[in-house]
Amino acid sequence: MWLRTLGPFAGLGLVVLIFALLTGSPGKYLSISNLRIVLSQTMIVALGAIGMTLIIISGGIDLSVGSNIALTSVVTALALRHSWPPSVALLGGIIVGGLVGLVNGLAITSLRVVPFIATLGMLGIARGAAKWAAGEQTVNVPPTWVNELAVTFPKQRWLIVAPGVWIALLLAIFVAVLLQNTIFGRHVFALGSNEAAARACGIYTARLKLWIYSLAGLFFGLAGVMQLSRLRQGDPTVAVGVELDVIAAVVIGGGSLTGGEGSILGSMVGALIMAFLRNGCQQIGWPNYIQEIIIGGIIVLAVAVDRLRALHASS
Amino acid sequence: MLDGTVHTRLYEIKSVKVFSDRSQATPVAARNLAHARKPRKKRMSIVKCNRFILVVSLAAMSLFAACKSDKGSSKHFTIAVVPQGSTHEFWKSIHAGANKASRDLAGLGLEVSVLWKGPLREDDREQQVQVVEGFLSQGINGIVLAPFDRRALVRPVEEAKRAGIPTIVIDSALDSDDVVSFLASDNYHGGELAADLMGKLLAGKGKVLMLRYQEGSASTEAREQGFLEKMKSSYPNIALLSSNQYAGATRDTAKRAAENLLNRYGDQIQGMFTPNESSTAGTLLALEDINKAGKIVFLGFDSSEPFLKAMREGKLQGIVVQNPFRMGEWGVKTMVDHLLGRPVPKKIDTGVQLITPENLDSPESRQLLHPPLDQYLK
Repeated sequence: MWLRTLGPFAGLGLVVLIFALLTGSPGKYLSISNLRIVLSQTMIVALGAIGMTLIIISGGIDLSVGSNIALTSVVTALALRHSWPPSVALLGGIIVGGLVGLVNGLAITSLRVVPFIATLGMLGIARGAAKWAAGEQTVNVPPTWVNELAVTFPKQRWLIVAPGVWIALLLAIFVAVLLQNTIFGRHVFALGSNEAAARACGIYTARLKLWIYSLAGLFFGLAGVMQLSRLRQGDPTVAVGVELDVIAAVVIGGGSLTGGEGSILGSMVGALIMAFLRNGCQQIGWPNYIQEIIIGGIIVLAVAVDRLRALHASS
Repeated sequence: MLDGTVHTRLYEIKSVKVFSDRSQATPVAARNLAHARKPRKKRMSIVKCNRFILVVSLAAMSLFAACKSDKGSSKHFTIAVVPQGSTHEFWKSIHAGANKASRDLAGLGLEVSVLWKGPLREDDREQQVQVVEGFLSQGINGIVLAPFDRRALVRPVEEAKRAGIPTIVIDSALDSDDVVSFLASDNYHGGELAADLMGKLLAGKGKVLMLRYQEGSASTEAREQGFLEKMKSSYPNIALLSSNQYAGATRDTAKRAAENLLNRYGDQIQGMFTPNESSTAGTLLALEDINKAGKIVFLGFDSSEPFLKAMREGKLQGIVVQNPFRMGEWGVKTMVDHLLGRPVPKKIDTGVQLITPENLDSPESRQLLHPPLDQYLK
């Protein structure tokens, strides 16, 4: 068990160490200000990965994350532009995210469409809805405190990192506890390990799935709000392909696409590994293709190591 | 040879026009009906009656058509305008310009429909290829294209030519001899303008960064090259610390790239240059976040509302702007000229201009920075 938790951390430590040496100025790479940058760049993928971890543990998948982020960032931007109170706009964005998740859940449970297809459809629907809602252009927003959520260097110095990073951290802890120490959490694992058995044990699997996809949707909605905060505009074309980053983070962190396995802590570390990699490659001055190859390699490697360990444990 | 194909197209379109015109739809339908009923003509007097109506209406129609062709103004063209995307203001300006051309030409008695369609995903060459291919079967007369890539769009353009549909390229170059004309800003010169301003503001010495836009984009590559070469030749005492990193397609990727680069070089540099809207916007956000905006000379490319605000606040020292509105307008008008058989130049410069906080409010700048979008986009 401890190996399982430590595995991703070892990977993260290795990546940070290697890049600190390669950049030629370890002081700068390991400085607080670079840490702030990496953390605020990770925030969106991390929030997405919290929701995705729930879904992947339950044996599902959600491909509509990027589109959901774009839609909710546009919705929040529109609300702010119509001078709604920022807190209402923010809540509105999160709820829209949750609704998208709920629709995914309904398609999966009521229409009996497999998650891959249901959310693949939503990928298009939500992206189109975002472009439609935004009138096919970016939506600029008036300055409010929402813009400060994802700022790299917060005005309140005692915060040290962006408020959004703290929010993501608190939510990660909350969901980790939810998964480990509540009946709901155990049900999610049971659902992912063996759905038929879970149903036989008296778990209302359909209702549980609705909850899981809706809850995850709320996190994607919050990620959309953070995306708005980072760009200070609602952009319907933003975050194309983010779902793959999010899934990669969960998988690097020990999540299994067959369900029943995964942890919030691992997913967060997975998200950090990718952000540190991108940041490091850029500071060394490596071209983009090297970053892409390395990240691709790490995903496969992480899962391969995980499989080997599982094999070892069972024998 | 090209003229020949164009003329056949013209002829075809003229006849299509007759069918599509609403006022004449009834007689045409009647004639079709008559053909269908020919074998049964002995049947009844109602048929005779019908035939009488038919003859009258046919006569009326030919009279009407004769009147029209006397005026010689029944030319109708459908021109597809294919941008790289549809959500940025730059593309909206091109759209507005194309619509203006259509309205101007209507005043001259030419009916020109502009079909506007961009790729679904804004950084996907394949999607743009599909958009162009889709138009080939829709009976259009010409394509005005802003290609993503100088090579990927060559095949569909050549196929269009084979199908008798000419292409005019705007904004970004295409490696093909099969285009009628190429209308664009002199991007290389735009880069040089930025380099000159940078050299002037830094008094010829210092360290600068350049963040590139994206691999394979011809227009931004020309700007980057213009900037780099001018820097090297005219300001040898200014060192470029990094010029091989790419901002990527969106503001978000650009912001990330700029943050990472600034962490490495931020305390050494006095200047920075970015070659398009998204990279400039992302870098501006990154500079604001680390409180460095206004402390270095930052020059960008293209315009948007936040840039003008940033210039007033001293966070941006200059932008090189193009004239997308003119690109759209001239693109469509040049295509119509070509379709009418008039000679058109192979290359047309639509102009670049440097906007600084000093000339921000001059009438020329205003016109360039605020094209009349609302007026032409409904």
